[in-house]
Amino acid sequence: MSDHVDGPRSIGDPSIDLSDLFAFTSPENPGRTVLAANVFPSAGVSAIFSNVVNHSIVVRRMTVAGLGEAAKFKPGDQEYRFNCKFSPLERGADGSKPVQKGTCTFPGGQELTFVVNDEKGASTPDGVFRIFAGLRSDPFYLAWLVAVLKKFPNLLQHDNVLSIVVDFNTKRVLEPEKGPLFGVIAETFAIPQPRSLIGHEPPRFDWVGRPEQSNMRLNNPAMEHADDVRDLWNQMTPFALEEEFRPIFRKRLLESLTNWDMRDGKADWTPQALAAVTDVYLDDFLLFDVSKPTTDTSFFEIEKSTLHGKPYQTGGGRTVNANVIDIMLTWMVNNDREFLQGGATGATKPGVNTFPFLASPNTQIQTAVDSVELAASPDKVWALIGDFGAAWEPLIATINTAGTGIGQIRVIEMIDGKRIVERLEEIDNSSRSYRYAMLVGLQVTDYTGTLSVAPKGTGSLVQWQVQYWADGQPDIVIKTVVTTLLRTSLESLKARFGAS
Amino acid sequence: MIAAPDHVLDYPLATDGDIAVINLVSAREQSWSRFWQDPQRPGIAEYIVEQEQLTAQYVGDMTALDRLETLVNHLERVSIGAMRTALIHARVAATAHRFAEARVHLTHAESRGAMPADVQRLKLSIDQACGTDLESVLEVRQRMAAESGRLEDLVPLGSLLADLGDFDEADRIYDRALREYNDVSPFAAAWVCFQRGVLWGELVPETQSSHAALWYRKAIEYLPYYVKARVHLSEIYLQSGNVGGTYSLLVPVISSGDPEVSWRLADVLLAMDNFADAGAQMQVAQLGFEELLSTHLLAFADHGAEFYSGSGKNARRAFELAGINLANRPTLRAFEQAYETALGAEETKAASELLVSARSRWGGTKAFGLSSLAQINGSSQK
Repeated sequence: MSDHVDGPRSIGDPSIDLSDLFAFTSPENPGRTVLAANVFPSAGVSAIFSNVVNHSIVVRRMTVAGLGEAAKFKPGDQEYRFNCKFSPLERGADGSKPVQKGTCTFPGGQELTFVVNDEKGASTPDGVFRIFAGLRSDPFYLAWLVAVLKKFPNLLQHDNVLSIVVDFNTKRVLEPEKGPLFGVIAETFAIPQPRSLIGHEPPRFDWVGRPEQSNMRLNNPAMEHADDVRDLWNQMTPFALEEEFRPIFRKRLLESLTNWDMRDGKADWTPQALAAVTDVYLDDFLLFDVSKPTTDTSFFEIEKSTLHGKPYQTGGGRTVNANVIDIMLTWMVNNDREFLQGGATGATKPGVNTFPFLASPNTQIQTAVDSVELAASPDKVWALIGDFGAAWEPLIATINTAGTGIGQIRVIEMIDGKRIVERLEEIDNSSRSYRYAMLVGLQVTDYTGTLSVAPKGTGSLVQWQVQYWADGQPDIVIKTVVTTLLRTSLESLKARFGAS
Repeated sequence: MIAAPDHVLDYPLATDGDIAVINLVSAREQSWSRFWQDPQRPGIAEYIVEQEQLTAQYVGDMTALDRLETLVNHLERVSIGAMRTALIHARVAATAHRFAEARVHLTHAESRGAMPADVQRLKLSIDQACGTDLESVLEVRQRMAAESGRLEDLVPLGSLLADLGDFDEADRIYDRALREYNDVSPFAAAWVCFQRGVLWGELVPETQSSHAALWYRKAIEYLPYYVKARVHLSEIYLQSGNVGGTYSLLVPVISSGDPEVSWRLADVLLAMDNFADAGAQMQVAQLGFEELLSTHLLAFADHGAEFYSGSGKNARRAFELAGINLANRPTLRAFEQAYETALGAEETKAASELLVSARSRWGGTKAFGLSSLAQINGSSQK
């Protein structure tokens, strides 16, 4: 994934794990630039930021210092830093839901406090800066099994991330008249504490420039026996990779890019060209030019054109909807000979044209699972419950069916009068399982259930699993109904077949 | 034995414990959601195992073990590869202390091409938990800790050293783990603090309750919902007569459902002469233990034995459970517990046999020399 879970240490606290970085011209106002950084890959709906970590987006002006095989981008010394810190949870005096607040310090020193997950965000009084931080739908999509380069559905479907989105007046902040090309990185590092000031810089946990530097290039999944250098990389200083470590990472990148080139069995890169690309990747920052347009396809154009010895044409950067993985793979595997389209053409939800530009969070699929171990054999139990039309559940008053086999409909009258209509979607008598969908009954979407019987010891294990998207009613109501149904039904089997 | 320092310095900074728990629950629920949508998704089942282990260890939510059983039952029905399934089975079985079963799955995983490092890491944990070939385990643990210097390698080494009676070195290793910790997850920091509390409060020959309490408090400071730390600290508070402090410590974690909380709360209520509520809590504790024992016998046999030999007042059940635990993992501590419960149940012949077995297995070790069993001779037994 772009930079998701990009090292063993980030697993400890996922909220410090940077996943993606974006830089693009505001769709709302071409005079403004948007920078966004995401942390906490696969965040659940209640995720919040760590309160002891600085979340920084750092920009430096760049110059093109070499073309063709000598392609090089040189960072300037001046740093434009957008730094966010977050509070512990603040509980309302009236028992209201706890909130988290954030404070962002902008280039020039202005500070702005805001409430996490407030969709309107907050703006400085002069309107130069606007910020949002909170849960959003993850705009990144990866639809390949990258180790074997096989198409796959989006691995991040329905995922959310914690986003920090900064939108600012480009002219006032970046002074493009001094040079319109910039490089940007995002980093997470500990808020300095007294102990750390004695001889140590605060540790950097993670940083990200271009997508997939860590998880696809430095840690190429097809190079199984290569040491994992991602934690070491994450501790490097952005814009100033230490000379002593450059050879380690250059060697790894070159090996990895060579491997990527040969994934389709064809060598599309000369050794000299690969060496030049390696050196560009070694300086890991996301390039964007505020004087040119950024589009969903302009990602990496600045680097490519420069490597081709030509002036670049676009603003590069990375928009929320850019298909960065397929652009990167096509470049690395076949040098843009043939576009490699993965198994998805977009993220769960596309980005939007209004602040904060990343789509609203995805709701979480709800699941209820229950099981019971019985003394009877699986075949004996399946003979009863494997019949889609059988009325064996105690909460059912009557059941009527229409049709047979897949597509069969059952109309259930519950003992409380509720009417439920379900359709058989799949049945496999050899593995003793069936799957059904609820058509009418609860106020939910895509409700499916799977009932199965498997051998367990000398008896059997009955497992019933239901999943759905909550739709309207508070989920606790639906959850209670579903879990009660499952528990009561499964418990009733003990009386018939004996508990194991 | 080194003296306990008077106070603790230089705590690493960590994410607020409440935030960390919210994020753990949030991430865990999301992982399950991903799993049910696509159980074959690369890495998702393994990630759930890690998250459920954290949930059981730090949040006292023992239903994590039930969810892990659901996970492995479901994996039997989907194809994620025999090696992955076997390795996950082994991890889940080891988490529930079903060590023999875990070894079988681990052998399957190994024969199906599991990474040697993954196999070795789990095998070490199982050997250590069972008290098997501890000298070899120590050698490997020391090498791993020297190579990585990571907290997750240092703490098991400290724990092993403590088991072997090398308390000074164990404390030094824990100290190093905490001083060199450079991450912000409070779980890891709280874990080290808890281990140091156990070291000072339970393992050293002359326990230092006030120092152990300091470490337990620090663990709770990192992680306010750290149920195990609260339970251990409550024992110290109650022994010192701090009834109010004990009560305040336990009430916030009643909702965890951990029967040890109800047990200790019953003891406090008894000390407060609140006999009715104490009786109710004791009943809850007993029901809770029996429910856990009915589904995860080996995971809770030692805890159940401790409960029944104490306030649970059922010496025979304690002896039975201690015997089950000993058969599952014949560590020195398991022998000590089995011996004590045998005496409690007036099973003097069994106690004598246990003593002989303990001497035979552990007699030559430093740890045995420091054990209460070493002070007993045949004639002094009841």
